[in-house]
Amino acid sequence: MISVLDLVERGVKRAEALGASEAEVYVVREESLSVKGSVRGVESVESGEAVNAFVRVVVGKRLSVQGGMVSRAEDVDTIVEGAVKVAKLSPEDPNWVSLPRRLGSTPTFDLVDSVVRSLELNYFAQFVKRALEMPKDLDRRAFASGAMASATSVAKAVGNSYQAPVYSEQTLFSFGIEVKAVESGFESGFYSYYTAPTLREFRLEKEVDYATRIAVETLRARRVETGVYQVLLMPRVFASVLGSLIVPAVRADMVQKRRSPLAGKLYSHVLSEQLTIIDDGAVPNMPGSTPFDDEGVATKRKTVFDRGVLRTYLYDTYTANMDNKESTGNAKRSGASNTYPDATNVLVLPGTSPLDSIIRDIKRGIVVHGTIGEWLSNPVSGYLNATVTHGFLVEGGEIKQAVKGVVISGDVYKLLGGDLAALSKEFEASSNYIVPAALLNSVSVAGE
Amino acid sequence: MSVSIDFGQEVLARALSSGVDEAVVRLQERVYELIVFDSGLLRSYSVSRVVGLGVEVVVNGFVGYAYTSALSRESVKHVVERATKFAKGLSAIGREARRVKVGGVKAFYRTPFSQDPFGVDSSEKAALVKDLNRVGMDVKGVVSAVTRFACERDRRVVVSSLGAEALSEVLAVGVSHLSVARSGEVMERVLDQKTFIGGYENIRSFDWGSFVEDVSRLAVRASQARAPSPGVYRAVIDNELIGLMLHEAFGHASEGDLVMYKQSVLYGRLGERIAGELVTIVDDGLAEGGYPVAFDDEGVVKRRTVVVDSGVLRSYLTNRQASHELGVNVSGNARAQDITFKPIVRQTNFYMLPGNASVEELFEGVSEGIYLRGKGAMGGQVDPAIGTFTFSIGPSYIVRGGELGELVRGVVVSGNILETLSNVELVAKDLKVSTSVFGGCGKDGQLARVGDGGPHIRISKIVVGGG
Repeated sequence: MISVLDLVERGVKRAEALGASEAEVYVVREESLSVKGSVRGVESVESGEAVNAFVRVVVGKRLSVQGGMVSRAEDVDTIVEGAVKVAKLSPEDPNWVSLPRRLGSTPTFDLVDSVVRSLELNYFAQFVKRALEMPKDLDRRAFASGAMASATSVAKAVGNSYQAPVYSEQTLFSFGIEVKAVESGFESGFYSYYTAPTLREFRLEKEVDYATRIAVETLRARRVETGVYQVLLMPRVFASVLGSLIVPAVRADMVQKRRSPLAGKLYSHVLSEQLTIIDDGAVPNMPGSTPFDDEGVATKRKTVFDRGVLRTYLYDTYTANMDNKESTGNAKRSGASNTYPDATNVLVLPGTSPLDSIIRDIKRGIVVHGTIGEWLSNPVSGYLNATVTHGFLVEGGEIKQAVKGVVISGDVYKLLGGDLAALSKEFEASSNYIVPAALLNSVSVAGE
Repeated sequence: MSVSIDFGQEVLARALSSGVDEAVVRLQERVYELIVFDSGLLRSYSVSRVVGLGVEVVVNGFVGYAYTSALSRESVKHVVERATKFAKGLSAIGREARRVKVGGVKAFYRTPFSQDPFGVDSSEKAALVKDLNRVGMDVKGVVSAVTRFACERDRRVVVSSLGAEALSEVLAVGVSHLSVARSGEVMERVLDQKTFIGGYENIRSFDWGSFVEDVSRLAVRASQARAPSPGVYRAVIDNELIGLMLHEAFGHASEGDLVMYKQSVLYGRLGERIAGELVTIVDDGLAEGGYPVAFDDEGVVKRRTVVVDSGVLRSYLTNRQASHELGVNVSGNARAQDITFKPIVRQTNFYMLPGNASVEELFEGVSEGIYLRGKGAMGGQVDPAIGTFTFSIGPSYIVRGGELGELVRGVVVSGNILETLSNVELVAKDLKVSTSVFGGCGKDGQLARVGDGGPHIRISKIVVGGG
């Protein structure tokens, strides 16, 4: 088996020998198992292993990034040779300062699970089998139309011309269940998803119960009249809205390139005082946690919005150098790309009101459990657009009907500013977010 | 070890000698080059590669799939053992996956080209992108611009125990441009791209300067526009947007895996009228302007599949399993992003056939409505289980008395698949099919290149969200 550490050291040496003034090599080995089932039962299993190597070489201020899957150690030499050749012919980047000069690891906990790492077919197939059987026992109108469980074991290392490589191992478990409900010519369906490094907090019953309940209760969903409503974003939806509009706007590269409405707003009040938002790359058992980022800088915890005040942007080394700051440990790669800053885990401090009482206080509003298209919202303008697929109309504190097919819109800085009515005291982990529910006033709703 | 039919046969022989009933071997080598200039500076010059093999085996009806990035004989042995072990392991807990037996394709497809984009001097390509980025930035009102050049060579081999011996090598090149414009406190963005299947000669012969300038000018005008009033509109949809909408709103629901798992609103509707009679929709592996898919990743030939014929649902898109389960012909739509994924049912080039109307006729009946434009559209999503779809549309126009009115920005539409297709009132003649080397379909977390298209159409009502 190829050693990821050996590949890193080999690549850096080779690049320097070919004339690179700086070189960085990032290698990741992944082994995975995925089990899928449908209405017919458990019927698919996939497994494999792949080693990917990515190099960033610098010749003076000329850069190139290359990488991909490697079959053998010599493939890293080929990637490095290609990168050096292209870098020598590339135009200079006047903003280039250097690769990270200090690498490190932040202590992390609960990022490795021996059961997940075992990739044992029967263990994960049992999750799928049970998930497929449960919905119809919970409600005769429901059945599971699909379920999946996957386990991944990751070993990664990154090093550069200045520092010896840093190395870590992590695991990732994912589970998904799609429940469909049918009754008297009406149909609905809902998908619930869970992902975390370990199985410690995974509750199969909770995910299946939630998917079944929403699928059944939205069977007769229909549009509501066009107008202005209160909207309660449940935690998973709120997390997705933050990821689509707020996280891109605090990326330093977006700010520097004038593609963020938060450019020039540092230390300004841009959100409601109720909102404190933290980026933390070392939360136990969260999928965004890692001892170091994708260029080897130790991850950190930082308050991005403190009671509505913007305190920092998210930086990798390149963007930090441009602003004469330290990297915040947020470097990411997307395949053979240059690094860019992005969120690790996003934590929103919860409010004080119980969810039940928030709903009771809604005069005319929609409680939103599911949307599509929120990721198509425009982070450049800060404009939210999302189509509600699973919601409930509430009038006078009581649920009146299920809702689907309406578009909710608005300026996210108004909605999460003066229009933020409440945050629930209950919160939920959803992928790399831990957030409460958020009640927004005055949301434009396009319906009938 | 190379990505060749000979190596595929060697792996297949190894798999069959281990006692499996059936096997499909996939080999792949893909190279992708991307040059990005961001507001005057080179942001990235990257080359990425995918290389490896995947083996699917069937043992007593149970299927196992394994892959590796290592193309060595030792790895082949390990992958075959792993796939076999999982197929056998599944027999204790799972269900058989019954599939139609269809003869494998013997095919050789290679994109014709006169100039290999990977052979063009890298400084020449970088200079082109830099110049175009400057053209985009020079338009007054533009505050930021990103220009990309991409080229891709995707070589795939499929060899199967059902007789498939197929090799495909697709070459694609393209340029994309994003401009961000500011007007007062309002910022707006417009992104557009153009892709050619072929070589660098297509880059040399196209007027990219005008292409980039148009994107920038539209961004500036959009930043000065207002959002539309939310509500229900009669709409004319242009021939750049129609394909995107069809792919998301209807194409996914016609995919046989979702249908056989009862995850699609089209389940059980074969033979039913599900759209207006002017609507005929096909999925065609080798459509002019689209992304070439001569055969699928199960080694089945991909031909034109008529999904909707004059409003009536005639077929689903299928792999071998969906074909068996649904009792329809196998359509050659088993596709995977790369060897790290098992193929799933997905579209190739999905588009609506043209009608008889002129584009002008479509506007004549619209006293109050909206002209929905594709340029700058950011994409869409559908929940196929409930039929609800949504799209982020490019800068569009309000229509009054059959005439184009003011430009509107930030347009989002939503609707129900079956309602919307039933609301098609007129279909124009101007068919256009296109593809993209910058993106594709992301079903189940797998990115696959697709094509889509259609002519201008008019629909009687659609929900529009906005300001």
